[in-house]
Amino acid sequence: MIERYNLFLHEFSQEASKELQLFSIIAQSFFQPFSLTDNLLVIMTALTAGPGLGFNRAMLFLTDGDSLKGEFWLGPASAEEAESIWRVLSTPGIGYPEIIEHNRSLLTSETDTLTKRVKKLSYPLYKEQALIPALTAAARQMILVRDARNEPAVDRRFIETIGTDEFLCIPLVSQKEVLGEIILDNSITRVPIGSRDIELASICGLYAGNYIYTAKLQKRIVDMKKVAAMGEMAMFVTHQLRNPLVTIGGFADQLLDPHTGEKKKKRNIQIIRSEIRRLERILLRLSQFLRIDVREKVAVDVRDMLNLVQDSVRARIAGRRITLDIEIEAGLRVLLCDPTHVGEAVRNVLDNAVDAVGDEGHIDLRAYRENSEWAVIAVQDTGKGIPEAVKEKIFDSFVSTKERGMGLGLAYVKRVVDACGGRIEIKSAEGRGTTFKLYFKTEPRERGTAP
Amino acid sequence: MKKKLLIVEDEKNLCLLYREELTKAGYKVTAVADADTALEQIKKQTFDLIVTDIRMPGKNGIELITQIMALRKDVPIIINTAYQSYKHDFMTWAADAYVVKSASLDELKAKIKELIG
Repeated sequence: MIERYNLFLHEFSQEASKELQLFSIIAQSFFQPFSLTDNLLVIMTALTAGPGLGFNRAMLFLTDGDSLKGEFWLGPASAEEAESIWRVLSTPGIGYPEIIEHNRSLLTSETDTLTKRVKKLSYPLYKEQALIPALTAAARQMILVRDARNEPAVDRRFIETIGTDEFLCIPLVSQKEVLGEIILDNSITRVPIGSRDIELASICGLYAGNYIYTAKLQKRIVDMKKVAAMGEMAMFVTHQLRNPLVTIGGFADQLLDPHTGEKKKKRNIQIIRSEIRRLERILLRLSQFLRIDVREKVAVDVRDMLNLVQDSVRARIAGRRITLDIEIEAGLRVLLCDPTHVGEAVRNVLDNAVDAVGDEGHIDLRAYRENSEWAVIAVQDTGKGIPEAVKEKIFDSFVSTKERGMGLGLAYVKRVVDACGGRIEIKSAEGRGTTFKLYFKTEPRERGTAP
Repeated sequence: MKKKLLIVEDEKNLCLLYREELTKAGYKVTAVADADTALEQIKKQTFDLIVTDIRMPGKNGIELITQIMALRKDVPIIINTAYQSYKHDFMTWAADAYVVKSASLDELKAKIKELIG
């Protein structure tokens, strides 16, 4: 016999302690969509809410470069405010999600004076003889301050801001870095901070530190991917532009040479002109490649979309012994983010088919409903097929097997199909031909319509 | 006697330009568009120097260099490519010079002169 449980618990058994519920809620918050502020808010709420640790107020600092900067401060500003907030929050039926929502609204509200006050605070982290609060983060230790006004280790301006003598400072750290600090107090109720509070708050601090660290890493990975993509793009541009430029430069030099005859001059000018046109084509393809964007999907009639594409392919195969069969299911509609780009992508696949077939062969373009969810636009050719060695790389940008290929065609196709939430299937046998299938979501059928 | 050069360059117009310019510079030039044709030529005749691109359809320039080294260890090779970054590929160390393609052929011509006169 087995028993299954949801990993994300929403209800707890009666024996579950308050602490266990608290940490479960914090742990679950990390699985919410990634927003640093939102998830820190959950931790701060856990520290201050009645059902949680129940501190009166919680202040958050985050590390920014070499200094500690005030981020937000949760809790009532005065005893009166405390009474009204806590009355609302202790209403039966108000649980954790409602309290977090309430706190979130506080952060964006214009009147949250506590957060405004803490945002003015900034402390250098690595100054000699750092004062509290910076000392906590620099020393990576929790510090409980009991009598702030008579304690020389506490910054005077900070005492003015927090306005209470007793508070607990918790550093937020990862293995290597200091990431921030949380400061807790009971300035309204004047309940002394005890050892149980410190123990529980330390765990919240470790959670928060770990969470900020993960969020930062995540951001760094995204940045690195962007840099890598730009590097790849820069390398591609270098190569693509350099070849025509070398050719133009070399033949232009010959034009200046007095020994060059008229006939050769004319030839050189023609070469230069064709290379300049090539440069223009490269820039056009490149800008097209960079412009693909994910947009809201719209339902598009496949036949309409492919009309122009057919014409351009027919023009390309004119005069060659290539036959083209087109079969598009009537009324077939697919969900696309950008029909122009998808049409262009299909044309790319067809162009490849024409290149693969050469002077003689057959190409099939079909569009049909595969099942209730997916439609397929398929291009099948009897061409030379994709060499085994290249198969894995065909969707990489800037990989080409063609003499003058830029290696952007299929990378473009993939980007467009990905942007539409579709997928691509390829079957190819060397010497026998290739089939490209582009899958797109179909427009959902109206209920009650016959299939 | 004229020194014999083999140029391996897949771009038709560039190939033509190199052939004309290096012939004018006093060399006997054979220009081919891919690595396999280059290897056929190397088996047939002796060249004083080989200039090769790296990115080409079929075998790339680095594979070509590996195979040339198995056939003729002593022939000087110049890599002539649009990419700076291949310099970090250790097989390019086997070449005698690495010249990045430029709108002026002066550097390439100077390198050839330096290597074989």
